[in-house]
Amino acid sequence: MLNADLPPIKGFLETSFIDWPGKLCALFFVGGCNFRCPFCHNHPLVLAPEGMESLNFEKILDHLATRKNWLAGVCISGGEPTLSPGLPKMITRLKAEGWAIKLDTNGSRPEMLAQLLADNLLDRVAMDVKAPLTQDKYERCAGCPVDLSAIQESIELLTKSGIPHEFRMTIVPGLHTEEDIVAWARQFDHSCSHLTLHNFNPRTTLDVLFEKKQGFTPEIFSRMSALLT
Amino acid sequence: MGVVMPLNAETAQARTQRVINEDSTDIALFVRSSQDDMIGWNRQRIVEALLRETFVDRDTAEKISRDIEMTIQAGRVKTITGPLIREMVNAKLLEMGLEEARRMHTRLGVPLYDVDQLLVQHNKENANVPHGPEATNLTLAEGIKKEYALLQVFTPDVADAHLSGDLHLHDLGFIDRPYCSGQSLEYIKKFGLNLPHALSMAKPAKHAEVLLAHMVKFAASLQSHFAGAIGWDAINLFYAPYLEELSDEGVRQLAQMMIYEFSQQAVARGGQAIFSDVNIYWEVPKHFVDVPAIGPGGLYTGKTYGEYEKQAQRFAWALFEVYKEGDAAGRPFFFPKPLVHITEKFFKTDGHLDFLHHICEVASVKGNTYFVFDRGDTAKISECCRLSFKLEASDLEDAKQPWKMRYSALQNITINLPRLAFRAQGDDTRLFALLTEKIQLAAKAHGQKKKFIERLMSLGKGGPLSLLAMDLDGEPYLKLHRCSYLIGMVGLNELIRVHLGQELHDSDASIKFGLKVIAHMNIVCNKLAESLEMKFVLEQTPAESTAFRFAKLDLAHFSKKAEKVVQGNREKGEVYYSNSTLFNVGATMSPIARVEKEGLFHPLIEAGSITHLWLGEAQPDKEALASFVINVFKYTQNDQIAFSPEFTACLACGKTSRGLSETCPYCQSKDVDGITRITGYFTKISSWNKGKLGELHDRYRNVKRFNN
Repeated sequence: MLNADLPPIKGFLETSFIDWPGKLCALFFVGGCNFRCPFCHNHPLVLAPEGMESLNFEKILDHLATRKNWLAGVCISGGEPTLSPGLPKMITRLKAEGWAIKLDTNGSRPEMLAQLLADNLLDRVAMDVKAPLTQDKYERCAGCPVDLSAIQESIELLTKSGIPHEFRMTIVPGLHTEEDIVAWARQFDHSCSHLTLHNFNPRTTLDVLFEKKQGFTPEIFSRMSALLT
Repeated sequence: MGVVMPLNAETAQARTQRVINEDSTDIALFVRSSQDDMIGWNRQRIVEALLRETFVDRDTAEKISRDIEMTIQAGRVKTITGPLIREMVNAKLLEMGLEEARRMHTRLGVPLYDVDQLLVQHNKENANVPHGPEATNLTLAEGIKKEYALLQVFTPDVADAHLSGDLHLHDLGFIDRPYCSGQSLEYIKKFGLNLPHALSMAKPAKHAEVLLAHMVKFAASLQSHFAGAIGWDAINLFYAPYLEELSDEGVRQLAQMMIYEFSQQAVARGGQAIFSDVNIYWEVPKHFVDVPAIGPGGLYTGKTYGEYEKQAQRFAWALFEVYKEGDAAGRPFFFPKPLVHITEKFFKTDGHLDFLHHICEVASVKGNTYFVFDRGDTAKISECCRLSFKLEASDLEDAKQPWKMRYSALQNITINLPRLAFRAQGDDTRLFALLTEKIQLAAKAHGQKKKFIERLMSLGKGGPLSLLAMDLDGEPYLKLHRCSYLIGMVGLNELIRVHLGQELHDSDASIKFGLKVIAHMNIVCNKLAESLEMKFVLEQTPAESTAFRFAKLDLAHFSKKAEKVVQGNREKGEVYYSNSTLFNVGATMSPIARVEKEGLFHPLIEAGSITHLWLGEAQPDKEALASFVINVFKYTQNDQIAFSPEFTACLACGKTSRGLSETCPYCQSKDVDGITRITGYFTKISSWNKGKLGELHDRYRNVKRFNN
């Protein structure tokens, strides 16, 4: 199989303790993204993925085979992995090797998500929701025009999928308010248990101006998190 | 001790007085003596001192004293100090070629300038010593004892090897004490608190709180008789017979008291917290199952320890609940360090998975947990930064009467490995020969310390080490004949880099060569142990300041070669060698690779090893950590691991946050201090030495690095 058909892997972390609840997993970073969130930490993957060398998928697979005892699965993150037409092929290959798969996505490609779910290729999904689903807010947080109906469709797909999933929002002072959190929680109605907040961390951001900002203070952050329960 | 003082009103007044001693000439001069008074000049005092302290003959002594008298007369000095006279005599001895006499007559002390600096500035050799009058007392006393050790306890070849940085003799300032001690609570449970020269004596405790009070006091008195760590074996099990009457709330309260007592003991020796370790087991260790349990009043309860599993577990659980909460400001407790033993039996004991998740949560949230892996039939007691004592047949026999279980390492000596590679110039044979030579020298130094401690111990209960001579169970508390002698190493990684041009993480070939080096050290230790009948064992030296000291000395004396391999930031002077057999702390290695590869060295290092996993600000999932820990036990040879998170403690608002930040995320104050593990224990980063600061900057924290 040629690497060219597959999503370009620009980064690989063998052991993550934080990306799969309850499990140790390997982490792939796929290059390329259709969003421009100003607070993004992985901006090299977003802005200049061509400049980064792609890792050899086969070599990674061989390496992962030596870690079967240790790792419970592979988390595919990015960038935005669902932009790559070769994603199902990559996951099929990983599945054939016995790996459980978690996908991190921004939900902007529901047709890809639907296909992956229909083909039983996913064991868990974490979807980044940038803001409550209102056009201007969402676009301000995503840093680009966004088709909200696609986002909505992805949310519905996951809600009905029957596989473990979570929706998470990185909140940034100046972009998100407590009302936003309340509005977001209302949009999800009865399934708030799948919602989590992440506090903004100013360390290396896509928009350099954001590096001068602070995250919410821990008190405010926990108050905002409490709004989800 | 003589005191040098500037001329002041008092001495001006003294100048006008004339005291004529019948023995002396007409010099009328006051001498500020070592005995806290001022006495008139008496040439004979020089003679007496020379005859008392050296082998110089009377005529020579008389001649020297007359010469000194003339010099003083010629200088028209009016007030003089004892130390100055002594130095003048020394200069004379040197002039006459009497070097041995000069050595014997020398004076130990500290220059005025140094004391001035010391009283004001913070000594960072040991991050566990805060700044204050007690700490400066400790530093001053240590300074003199260190000089004494290098002059009097060790032969010049050993002293030179230390001073030049070939070797590092640890805790020279504590020359008159053994290095560290691991013991069982049973000793005070059985005998009460009955210490030599104590003002009062206490019978065996009847209540859990009283037992705790005894334990804390005993630990403090041990701290004043040992240089380093004080460890306690199976603490939760030995408390168990006292817990039956207590509610869960009561057990929790006791756990909280114990942890606060040890973490707040920074009021004793030198303002230094007792470096305390508690060994914790979820199961009842095999060697204690059938042992009759001692309970309140020092009496047998009629049950065996095997029957106290549930009580012991209740206490273990409560201890970790306290660790999880942290102190009043939410910071991790620095002491006592909890070492949980993961054994074959652990996995067969009910509730082990819940307990594992519990202690992994503590590892994630606060970092305290040490995971000690005892595979197969291994049983050990761990303490200090990583030191462990493997229990041998005789120890397991002692386990039937656990108060007999006490272990000590008499001294710790570290070998500067990179320097050997500088000298070997790429020649394997030469490298191994040099290594052998240094281990032999270390063994010689151990023999010299042993002899010195034996001399102090031979003075028995009337001597300076009366506590260690106490023999409540028929044997001295310090069992000298069973002490270990530690031989450690710093900079295996840099040795390899000099010798092979690669670091340990670069290739399997460098790991293989590294293993050869450590295996060689092990073999030489074993051979020497047999021929000298002393137990030499390898340890991964924590080398909190040694890693810095060796790097600095090598930059000075082997600059061209050292410049290429020292780690850290040379411009800022934040240089270091990699600790012991650890891989480059900054190497991008996955935690799995690190525990596997560093673990390859652990079976060769009998007295203990550890792999550190630095977590930075990431707060891992407790179940993910637990699965990792299980796999380390099952699939690696790694001896011990610890996960180290980082924290920012705000001095303005008093709150603690995750990660190292320059400003407090709560109140934006810049008045913050970082907290994380320096070697084997948590401390405030502001107290770290420069080498460790360099290392902190370099530590790989398991995050993806993109090269763009």
